[in-house]
Amino acid sequence: MGTFIQLVVDGLSTGSIYAALALAIVLVNQATGLINFAQGGMAVLSAYIAWWLTGLGVPLILGILLSVAVSFFLGAIIERYLMRRFERGDPDTAVVVTIGLLTLITGLCGWLWTYNNQQFASLFSLNTIQFGGASISVRSLGTIVVMVVMMILLQALFIGTKLGLALRAVAVNPQSAAFSGLPVGRLLMVGWGLAAVLGAVAGALVAPQLSLTPGMMDTALVYALAAVILGGMTSPIGVVVAAWLIGVLENLAAVYVPFIGYDLKVAVPFILIFVVLIVRPQGLFGRRTVVRV
Amino acid sequence: MSVTAFFEKAWVRWAAIAIVIVALVVFPLVLPVFANQTIARIGVFAVAVLGLNVVMGYTGQVSLGQIFFVGLGAYITVYGVLHDWNIILVFLLACIGPAVVGLLIALAAARLGGLAIAMVTIALPIVGVPLAKRLGDITGGSQGLSARFTDAPQWSGLYDDQWQLYIVIVITAIVFLLTRNLVRGRYGRAFAIVKGNEAVASSMGISPYWYKVIAFTVASLIGGVAGFLYMVVIQFTSPETMSFAHSITLLASMVIGGAASIIGSLLGGAYYVLIPQLTNIIDPNATALLQGAILLIVLFVLPGGLVSLPRVIARLVRRGRGTGGGRTPQTTPIAEPDPAAATEGIPTERQGHA
Repeated sequence: MGTFIQLVVDGLSTGSIYAALALAIVLVNQATGLINFAQGGMAVLSAYIAWWLTGLGVPLILGILLSVAVSFFLGAIIERYLMRRFERGDPDTAVVVTIGLLTLITGLCGWLWTYNNQQFASLFSLNTIQFGGASISVRSLGTIVVMVVMMILLQALFIGTKLGLALRAVAVNPQSAAFSGLPVGRLLMVGWGLAAVLGAVAGALVAPQLSLTPGMMDTALVYALAAVILGGMTSPIGVVVAAWLIGVLENLAAVYVPFIGYDLKVAVPFILIFVVLIVRPQGLFGRRTVVRV
Repeated sequence: MSVTAFFEKAWVRWAAIAIVIVALVVFPLVLPVFANQTIARIGVFAVAVLGLNVVMGYTGQVSLGQIFFVGLGAYITVYGVLHDWNIILVFLLACIGPAVVGLLIALAAARLGGLAIAMVTIALPIVGVPLAKRLGDITGGSQGLSARFTDAPQWSGLYDDQWQLYIVIVITAIVFLLTRNLVRGRYGRAFAIVKGNEAVASSMGISPYWYKVIAFTVASLIGGVAGFLYMVVIQFTSPETMSFAHSITLLASMVIGGAASIIGSLLGGAYYVLIPQLTNIIDPNATALLQGAILLIVLFVLPGGLVSLPRVIARLVRRGRGTGGGRTPQTTPIAEPDPAAATEGIPTERQGHA
């Protein structure tokens, strides 16, 4: 039983990191119809910025907050000067642009800070708490708490503020939003900025566990994409639940299903996707969209 | 007389084809070993990109799993060769195996709309790599397997690299010819309609589901052929062959070359092989950085891929002449003055594009 609880909590913790990236992907996808493959790379860059700042003597928490702020502007700049050109064009080209961005950012991190692993200090203590025969790390709990807070903040932003309302309007129909006098371009920049912020938080949370490398987020990105599909593109809460589900299930499968083990546990979310999508092509929580000719 | 009209004359076409064939026969004999090997590699990845083009360029389904079928084809080839099977049989299995797997995946994946197919196909390289490591008895695990079966036979009097290049040229040419016929024929038109608008396709009696399944299966089969050629040229495969990074590069190559274009597939293969060599020469530490930058610059300047370059140049020339000329003087002699021809560019390459 102890092992089981531990696996579930650890699964929720890693799932939270996937959830942060997945929310960022949904945010961008809702506003622009794009899947941003560079989201993981942007998160890595943010983590490197925070790490570089702490290296200069800035306290860790301040370094992370600064990197979050910088990420907001980087996200907005990327939208304004790179993605905007491709947003209404051929979606295949736009997807490849984000892939190019991923390659560029990963390469930039590797070029500036080498491909060696860097130690990134953890925000949370590395102690463990004994609970029901399980030893649960404070870091896992902290990661989960941060994620839940982020989710609540995001939800509050979307539902409780004027900015959130405008962002939703742009997401639903950019043309109508523009006709109603909303500054669509600026809102898209804000959307990308917020997505980058989510990525930056994910980066700061994952870097101490994996140690900082340019390719750190590659696997997390794949899981996040899985969560996005599984949860349904249109539902932020569904995406978070899916990310947690993936984190927990892959942990359990790795231990309790001998054939899967640690090397093949990456297959679990995709088997899950396969099964779910055959039954519900719109995802667990997504809405079915009707296409008009 | 415009360039297009010139190339539409039958004798010009046949002469051009004859020149290309003669060049393909002669070049392997006169070029240095390194050039031959590079061209052979370009052929291998041009075939892989061509397969991706069938499903993505022509049918509009983003696939991130094409490299998996290349790897599968390579593994089937190496397995057959190491068990001394007849090489023709091995080739057929390297085609059929990936096609069957592709068909099974497509039957499930094609039910999903839009980018969901991309997500399902992303799983192929992600799961394929650890799976290949796990099935070490067959795949040789992380070490990989090598097989030499394409040394030049005694009677030919050729060197190994020349012999291999000839094999690649022959198979690549056949695959390109067959694919060209496929995408310009009835199937190609159906693919284009599915790509353009699935609802329209259904209302015309074209089942988007089946045409997606067909496109995906054909793409997997062509991927298997690329895998066979991979073993012909590189003679070694490991789980790394089908890594996600390679899948991404393949996708980038397709778009850079030009989606929904036969020539674009060749250019894509060249991009796949040559750009890493180029960036390595410039600065080995900045390889990824430069590759990303090159990819973005190409897309910024040529969203339609390298294949649209002649059209873009023609447009610039026309604009330059309109405002007094001289903006792109070096290209003026290449392009012809007829604006109608310039807009046509390479019209045949874009057929089937809705």
